[in-house]
Amino acid sequence: MKQRTIWFILAAVCLAFTLVNAQEMAPIKIDLPKPMFVGTPQNMSVPNLEKPLGKARPPFLAPVGTENVAEGKSVASTDEEPIIGEIDMITDSDKEAADGSYVELGPFLQHVTIDLEKKQNIYAVILWHFHKQPRVYFDVIVQVSDDPDFVKDVKTIFNNDIDNSAGLGVGKDNHYVETSEGKLIDAKGVQGRYVRCYSAGNNNNDLNHYIEVAVYGKPVE
Amino acid sequence: MSRFLKIYLLYILLFFIAAAIRLPQLNLRPMHTDEAVHGIKFGALLDEGYYRYDKNEYHGPTLNYFTLFPAWIRHQNSIDQVSERTLRLVPVFFGLGLILLLLPLVRQCGWTAVTGAAFFTALSPFMVFYSRYYIQEILLVFFTFGLMVSGWRYIQNRHWGWMVAAGAFAGFMYATKETWVIAAFAIFAASALLVVMDKQWRAQVMGIRFLHLFAGFFTAIFVVSLFFSSFLTNMAGIWDSVLAYKTYFTRASANDWHLHPWYFYFKKLLCPTFSNGLCISEWVVVVFSAIGIWHVFRYKNSSLSLNFFRLTALYALISAVIYALIPYKTPWCLLGFYHGFIVLAGYGLAVSLQWRVKGRFFVYVTLGIGVFHLIWSAWVANYKMYDDPANPCVYAHTSRDVFAIVNRIKEYAAIHEDGQNMYIEVICPGGDYWPFPWYLRACHRVGWWSAVDENVPAAPVILAKPEIEADLLHKLYVLPPPGEKNLYLPMFQEYKELRPGVEIRGYVVKELWDEFEASTFR
Repeated sequence: MKQRTIWFILAAVCLAFTLVNAQEMAPIKIDLPKPMFVGTPQNMSVPNLEKPLGKARPPFLAPVGTENVAEGKSVASTDEEPIIGEIDMITDSDKEAADGSYVELGPFLQHVTIDLEKKQNIYAVILWHFHKQPRVYFDVIVQVSDDPDFVKDVKTIFNNDIDNSAGLGVGKDNHYVETSEGKLIDAKGVQGRYVRCYSAGNNNNDLNHYIEVAVYGKPVE
Repeated sequence: MSRFLKIYLLYILLFFIAAAIRLPQLNLRPMHTDEAVHGIKFGALLDEGYYRYDKNEYHGPTLNYFTLFPAWIRHQNSIDQVSERTLRLVPVFFGLGLILLLLPLVRQCGWTAVTGAAFFTALSPFMVFYSRYYIQEILLVFFTFGLMVSGWRYIQNRHWGWMVAAGAFAGFMYATKETWVIAAFAIFAASALLVVMDKQWRAQVMGIRFLHLFAGFFTAIFVVSLFFSSFLTNMAGIWDSVLAYKTYFTRASANDWHLHPWYFYFKKLLCPTFSNGLCISEWVVVVFSAIGIWHVFRYKNSSLSLNFFRLTALYALISAVIYALIPYKTPWCLLGFYHGFIVLAGYGLAVSLQWRVKGRFFVYVTLGIGVFHLIWSAWVANYKMYDDPANPCVYAHTSRDVFAIVNRIKEYAAIHEDGQNMYIEVICPGGDYWPFPWYLRACHRVGWWSAVDENVPAAPVILAKPEIEADLLHKLYVLPPPGEKNLYLPMFQEYKELRPGVEIRGYVVKELWDEFEASTFR
């Protein structure tokens, strides 16, 4: 009888302990925030827009010794008096989107030309127009030539001018959204001394912006 | 068969064509942010009978209240049951109503002009697109045109009923969208200009009876008071509807997201848009409306019907200039003035069909090619490129990816022990997670954040923008004590976007991911 009482008390203690524990394990009631009403979002009305990778771009391979041959080189532009910044900022290695890091050129078709000082084997060009907000620049055309006036022996390595509004031929490349990692253009080892980049406004306004242009290459031996 | 019967049958046929191009697959296009916001706001009205006018956003109450009718007819008593089809039936109804509103003009303005206007209204890609879009714009166009038609009929026959109808339409305009002031001003200015230009019109306007005018004004005030006071349950709403104009006048140049050059609307209407070999444009409407405008101002003779089209032309031109001058632009705003041009295109068509034989041949050829292209454009804009940024009707539209994301979340909920009560975190800076609140309205434990909240437990399913991923990783893997850090996997291997250029990422706890993969394998 005494043993039965002890077992009964033990069972009651276990049950009570279980109940207490069960109470401790009860789910916490969370007041979940309700959705916040918002206005019409920003539009990105751009045909032929390529989808971003959604992850970091893998590093590209290039021959040993390839480097940014545009760094610190002189730049000429169709807009000699930019609205904001200086033309030299395009090759100063500063790729930040903050004020003071970009140059703002006038509206409509504008171009900048980088003098690499000598003929280079160019493997890649990376463009940063403006990435503080998602933007798409129109008529982005990149050409390489030995001629500073780009009259003869011009090689086009990128062209997304789908309606030939820039008058340099219809481009087959896609529009793209500007990101902090810049637009990588495969130059396929083309040779030349001058690199010219065109643009004709963006989806937000008619102005043209450049943060940086990097040209990865090696001098032609 | 009598001539009138033939014409009535043609009109009925046009109405059915308009219905046939508007009604199918109303849930095909993903919900735009604005549609989803209005949908959730309607849910509060349906579920709780709650509506309060917000003077800062979301426009007037007519859209919400009129949506009660399709919901009741379809026996949908809670927002969980309401579908996109139910919501979009409201603009479809008013889009079709625009065709019926032309009928009171038949006797004076002629069958050809009215049927032509009905035809272009039925097939215009912009009119079709925004007749399937759950926002206030097509309602405003309907009420504006209703005011013009009933006002003109009153001028014509002095019957007080038309003045009361005009008052009601004016009241509904006010209760629909704050931009009604532009339409009202354009009608007033057009009428005033016509008073200066035309003696007959001047005499007719001067003959308006004060008592009738008062009846119309009283009707307008009655409609406005009823709707803005949420049917007499919130009298402050009436005053808020006046205060709202301060907000909207400031907005006209404040938010640079929607600031566009003056030619924004005209480019959308006039420049054909190409994508994947497909072309959308409204050139045939523009051509015939130009003929119509040229004709109404060419002759100095006066008639009541001609004055209606003169009034419409002046209204369309004045409102087009106003909309072009306002820097804040969204494509649906163009409907306000563009509908005037569509009506004039009907008149232009009627005029050009009376040209001599050679000219008429040219009209038939233009009309044939133009109509074929218009039908093609309406189909492409609404059933093929309905979310493509190259479509001129599309603006900041939700990507089709949203369907894949929502379906995957529903699949997770189906195997999760909590089912529809599965806890979900959605974290997007600035509240940029719409239209997910609409699509996840049947999930009852969804939290919506603009930043990572470290004080709440992590959900088994998380949707987030890439820019907060670092904070999210900190919450998932740094804050929890050792042994309590759950592993998360990406919901999708490929890039998913909320809108073009706006990425959204999904994360799912590994246990649920395993269970889901096992279930799909089974």
